[in-house]
Amino acid sequence: MLSVAGLGKRYPGAARPLFSELRFTVGAGEIVALVGESGVGKSTLLNCVAGLEPADAGTILIGPDAVDMARLDEAAAAALRASRIGFVFQAFHVLPTLDVAQNIAVPLLLNGIDAAEHPRHIEELLARVGLAGFGPRWPASLSGGELQRVAIARALVHRPSLILADEPTGNLDPRTADEVLSLLLERVRACHAGALIVTHSRHVAQACDRILALDPEGLR
Amino acid sequence: MMRLGWWLIRAQLLARRSATALSMLAIALGVALGYAIHLINDAALADFSRAMKAVQGEPDVVIAPRDGAGHIPLALVDQLSRDAAVAVLAPVIETRVRIGDTPLLARLIGLDPFSAALLMPTLLPDQAADAMGSLLDGAVFASPALAEKVGADATLMRGAARWQARIGGELAAVPAGEKLLVADIAWVQAHFGPRDGVGEIRIRLSPGMPLAAWRAAWAPRLPAGIELRAAEDNQARVSNISRAYRVNLNVLAMVALLTGAFLVFATQLTAVAQRSTQFALLGVLGLPPRLRLLQVLVEGLAIGVPGSLLGLLLGCGLAVGFTRVAGGDLGGGFFSPATPVIVPQLLPTAGFFALGCLASLLGALYPAWLNRIQPLAQALKTGFAQGQARGGGHARGRDALLILALAVGALALARVPAIADLPLGGYAAIALLLMLGIVCAPLATRALFGAVARARLPAPLKIAVQNILQAPLMAQVAASGLIVSFALTVSMVTMVASFRTALDQWLDAVLPAPLYMRSKAVPLPAELLADLARADSPFQRVERMAASSFSLDPQRPTVALLVREIDRRDPGAQLPFTGAVADVAPGGIPVWISEAMQQVHGIAVGQRLRLPLLGREIEVTVSGVWRDYARQFGAVVMTADDYLALGGRFEATDLALWPRPGQEAAAQTWLRGAATRHGVEATASGEIRELSLSIFDKSFAITHALEAAAMLIGLFGLAVTLAASVGLRARELAMLAALGFDRAMLGRAVVFEGALVTCVGLALGLAAGIAVGAILTHVVNPQAFHWRMPLAVPWPPLLAVAAATLAAGMLASGIAARRATRLPAAQVLASAQ
Repeated sequence: MLSVAGLGKRYPGAARPLFSELRFTVGAGEIVALVGESGVGKSTLLNCVAGLEPADAGTILIGPDAVDMARLDEAAAAALRASRIGFVFQAFHVLPTLDVAQNIAVPLLLNGIDAAEHPRHIEELLARVGLAGFGPRWPASLSGGELQRVAIARALVHRPSLILADEPTGNLDPRTADEVLSLLLERVRACHAGALIVTHSRHVAQACDRILALDPEGLR
Repeated sequence: MMRLGWWLIRAQLLARRSATALSMLAIALGVALGYAIHLINDAALADFSRAMKAVQGEPDVVIAPRDGAGHIPLALVDQLSRDAAVAVLAPVIETRVRIGDTPLLARLIGLDPFSAALLMPTLLPDQAADAMGSLLDGAVFASPALAEKVGADATLMRGAARWQARIGGELAAVPAGEKLLVADIAWVQAHFGPRDGVGEIRIRLSPGMPLAAWRAAWAPRLPAGIELRAAEDNQARVSNISRAYRVNLNVLAMVALLTGAFLVFATQLTAVAQRSTQFALLGVLGLPPRLRLLQVLVEGLAIGVPGSLLGLLLGCGLAVGFTRVAGGDLGGGFFSPATPVIVPQLLPTAGFFALGCLASLLGALYPAWLNRIQPLAQALKTGFAQGQARGGGHARGRDALLILALAVGALALARVPAIADLPLGGYAAIALLLMLGIVCAPLATRALFGAVARARLPAPLKIAVQNILQAPLMAQVAASGLIVSFALTVSMVTMVASFRTALDQWLDAVLPAPLYMRSKAVPLPAELLADLARADSPFQRVERMAASSFSLDPQRPTVALLVREIDRRDPGAQLPFTGAVADVAPGGIPVWISEAMQQVHGIAVGQRLRLPLLGREIEVTVSGVWRDYARQFGAVVMTADDYLALGGRFEATDLALWPRPGQEAAAQTWLRGAATRHGVEATASGEIRELSLSIFDKSFAITHALEAAAMLIGLFGLAVTLAASVGLRARELAMLAALGFDRAMLGRAVVFEGALVTCVGLALGLAAGIAVGAILTHVVNPQAFHWRMPLAVPWPPLLAVAAATLAAGMLASGIAARRATRLPAAQVLASAQ
């Protein structure tokens, strides 16, 4: 699902590259944790994979047809994200002006699929993340755990081949974090997608299939 | 994708109802003002043209003398009548008469009923009622406006000439409001002349005869004092009379629309800033960059479309309401005060709708672009990146270059002469000056507050100054909107004050006598002049003036000819010259032209001119230029002695009167009695001054309304932007509260910051406004209206508006601070995790 090779990034004016010659893969149905100390470049690596920041070198092949994100312009990268990638963030990032069902429908709309044709699909997805009947509710009325469940549903609704998650349990209490993590791992595996999860949590990392540790020397 | 766009627009409109409604109203106001001005002027112009056609008919060509004292010789009438290309030839004599000893004036039109039936049927009475015979027998027919005021008989008077006429009936087809009398041409000729000619000839050419060819054949054969005007010349003349005034009003309305665009700009920028995380999220999820741009533009249109539609409705209502209350004249004095019919036309309506939409799109353009270029990952983490507004040395250098280019461009454009009689260069220079004011904001901010920031200040003030210095985009936007609206207000107040001061001084110069008497373009009655000349009259001095007009260009309005009793050795005693007076060679005829005449026709002092006077061309020398705020299209003063020597008749229309010492009250009583007896106007100089200033104030009433609209919209923009700027920093304020700032300290910091932003906007707005006022005074006014005047800045009202604006800015900041610090700091910080 994701194959990274020779990836390098240096910020302008920096004495040394943030990282260079990174090489790793994430297979279909595989969940990989990316760990490392603060400032080592985990989020930047995730941004490069998502096409939100340009890499200086390397290839980032995504999906069964191995489209190279590193070679795409801004618009093509956005289109690839819309069709192949799902996102889960630490701060949930649920649109406050749309209700739960509308939030989940956003990726469908971005892919040109009329959400009105799929109310049952969204309702089923909500039920699978434990939010049955939550469709018409507004984000302001939800707890942190519920918001993250909405975000997971949104990340999976368009059946992406890759899930990118940045500290998905960082804002949750331990019990809710456990529930959300279990749900995320279960749904990713059920969808047979690959997932790259950036985390500081040893517990989260150990729940994943494989751990990649990023430090100034590279990936281990 | 459309559905997502609609969800976002609906959510945005609902979430920011007040700001959105204010933006819509601002656009509506701009469109309404422009559209109403257009509708009123269009209706008044159409009314004017209809009335002219009703009186003139629709001839292909009019042959007329170029001055009021000239006429068409009968020999020329004879030659023209023998031209096979002439299908209809209608001779006309038109003169102004007083009806009895009343102030009632009318146009008396003498015509040939047979040719008039073909060319000017509206001027003929109902033929079935045997009125034609009555017309030929010397009866006079009156328009409806006059028919109800005159009886069966009326004395028609012009100077010493009188005609005891029988009123034969009513001219039902003449438009309401026209004061017209129609008689057979022979009867008019017999009573008022000219004995050996006619006033003008209206011609319809034979079918198939090309006008240009006929004109080219006849123009060289006409005597010097006679001109040939085609129908389009008349239309051009009618349009030219009021064109600059109409264009200027429309430019003012566009200014209101521009400030509306600024409000859309402020609203959309704050909307983008407040939703930057949401837009970043959508971008991360895959919303393409062009759709992030398009979304904000469409949101701008969602303000512009209903705003423009509302503006069209308001404009139409405003136009109908205004014309019903005040007639068709917006204060320029060009049109009749009668109520014209407002008829919206599709194309201009669509044009004003498009202008409103364009203004809102323009307002949304920069916010849309910012939304397009927001770095997604950073915006998702930290919200709106205000860093765009910060500039390093490179940006400062670029700003300085831009400022220089704008200043040089504005100066260069201000020197461009009028294009098609319109001050287009001046208008463009004003646009550049407004941009200059905005571009100066960051540099001025750094210059003003750079040193202050290094000083030891109380914590709230230090934070406020530091925030301004970092030049957050929102603060700059607030200052920019204020710069534009305050500059426009300052410029218009300055221009109007300059004009009023100059008018006041001019009235002192041109009203030296205590009393005046006038008879509009009709010679004063001979008996009155004889009474004044008697030894027992209470006046020690009477100065006479005869006003008429002549044409220098068939497409331009006529020029006034003022024949005055002036001492040619000392004309400065009676005329307010603007420069040196040149001597005229012995035997030469000196004339003194007004500034408007100098401007319109490009005439210099010392230049020799050939003026169409007394039916021929007479060479005169321009001896000086004098200031005249009464006649926009130019005036020429000639001494009565010279005019008489040339063979003219000095028939006074205006008198300036100096009572004998001690007889002031008796003189006033005498004058009022004479005025009532002879139906002329008598006024004291104080009354003329008062009336002139009140007409001036009425003329600029609409300007003041536009100033108020611009300022109000600017204040809305300031309040919206300051409030949004503070709202965006709720987290920062909560963090300061957590560090130990109490609510009062935070409030002081925010209010002080609002005051600083407002001060920067006011200072730059004042500077730009005075510069724009100078362009309005020294470029736009002379080029569009041919008035020149010194610049006078009215400091007290400007400082009062500035103080009120500063108070409003501080109040808006205070309210915003209170809202931003309403929640406990811990809650705000927790929600930001």
